[in-house]
Amino acid sequence: MRDTYVFLGLILLFAAVNIGLMASGILAVDWTGLGIIVAAGMTLALYSFLYKDNPLFKFAEHVFVGVAAAYVFGQTWYPTIYGELIAEWTDPGEGETPNWWLLAPTVLGLLMLTRFSLRFGWLSRYAFAFFVGLAAGWTIPRYISSFILAQIEPTLQPLTWSLEGLNLLVVLVGVVGVLVYFFFSVEHTGTAGHVSKVGIWFLMVSFGASFGYTIMARVSLLIGRVTFLLDDWLHLM
Amino acid sequence: MHKLLAIDRRIIFALVFLSVAGPLLAGISLPITPTDEVKAAYDQFEKLDAGDIVLVSFSYGASTAPEMLPMSRAILHHAFRRDLKVVAICLWPEAPGLAQQVLEEIAAEFDLEYGVDYAFMGYKPGNFSVILNMGQDFRSAFPQDQWGAATGDLDLTRGLRSLRDFDLVLDLAAGDSIEFWWIPYGQEKYGFTFVAGCTAVMAPDLYPFLDSGQLGGLLGGLAGAAEYETLIDRRGSASTGMSAQSMAHLVITLFVIIGNIAYFVARRTSSEQGN
Repeated sequence: MRDTYVFLGLILLFAAVNIGLMASGILAVDWTGLGIIVAAGMTLALYSFLYKDNPLFKFAEHVFVGVAAAYVFGQTWYPTIYGELIAEWTDPGEGETPNWWLLAPTVLGLLMLTRFSLRFGWLSRYAFAFFVGLAAGWTIPRYISSFILAQIEPTLQPLTWSLEGLNLLVVLVGVVGVLVYFFFSVEHTGTAGHVSKVGIWFLMVSFGASFGYTIMARVSLLIGRVTFLLDDWLHLM
Repeated sequence: MHKLLAIDRRIIFALVFLSVAGPLLAGISLPITPTDEVKAAYDQFEKLDAGDIVLVSFSYGASTAPEMLPMSRAILHHAFRRDLKVVAICLWPEAPGLAQQVLEEIAAEFDLEYGVDYAFMGYKPGNFSVILNMGQDFRSAFPQDQWGAATGDLDLTRGLRSLRDFDLVLDLAAGDSIEFWWIPYGQEKYGFTFVAGCTAVMAPDLYPFLDSGQLGGLLGGLAGAAEYETLIDRRGSASTGMSAQSMAHLVITLFVIIGNIAYFVARRTSSEQGN
């Protein structure tokens, strides 16, 4: 019950603040001003989850999911499905003939949707088989070239007595250590155990770096929203 | 010590909020030193001549806009200031609204003409297959711009046939488009100069591509954007946010240290009581 009063109080405070902002002319009484108020309200509603789960958070979350889904649908439907497919057949333009070759990928795409039917679901296998075969053919040579061959070259550069040489040595030791750690056909004892332990240390440093960057990213997002609230909404900055 | 370990997490949230809001309200400014990878990205733009064409791919949505918009602004400002032509595309369905907003905002600063100085081709689904498609035939991948004008009718895009026709390609990404789409299917296959801007979460995974030369430069997160703003001498929202970022990191680091000390002291106390 106490929480209900807290949230009701916050909603009233939010309304009062906005009335004050509009009355004082800090926020324009137009669609832009309304947009800023809605964005501020949604931001605060989503952050209210930090206090505890509540209906305001749920509402904002559902609105976000709905709006995002509709936006993605609109972006896919109008320029691509309608603009480049349906319009291609129904309104090809003066002096141009409809491109009926587009029927082939369209049929394959529609076959994928038969997954929703128990009776016709088997038809989707043809589309998936085509897609898996095509993607494998594209991906395997590209990945070998980009992620293995292109990465081996800078890893195996000649070592020199310089800072760059030391850097290369660290990279080489790290690569060998981690590869040995993930080589499970040999028991990790003796020399293999020592080398794999070096690999674990490199992995730990890597996880630490990733975690540090993740914190940085999340704080950046918070900075973005706080800047919006303090500057665009409250005009305090 | 047990009380310290069981501290209400809302107190931590409040302190992190204050550590962000405080420096922003106080307007504290800290010096920013650009890193080598951001300087490399900057240099790639500096190497281009006026009139050269840059392809900018927007692959991010609203959830990462606070990180990605400042770097988009900084890079576009640099490109337009150097009289480079920009062709923008989106490979994420959420991106068009954000991309259009930032393009028009920066283009207006320089009073640029649409279709001549910059063009916006909109969103195309298909992920890496769009990149392969652009490599083979740009017009087939993007037959029209965001507003339905034929690609062949715009001055800027009329002569574009393939990805090889671009002098520089830039991907601003919040997903895996840099390493899993652009590098294997674009840069490696067509050999163009490629630079990237990404969220901080993604940055550690992309450093190996700098060493291999597959990436010509990299901006990682808000810090990367702030460094780029420093290089182009245009203080924007990323530079403003750096003081808050540093203060929040300080608070989080202090909590990590305090939490670890409390954990080890509590463990020792428990083991001593057990004996």
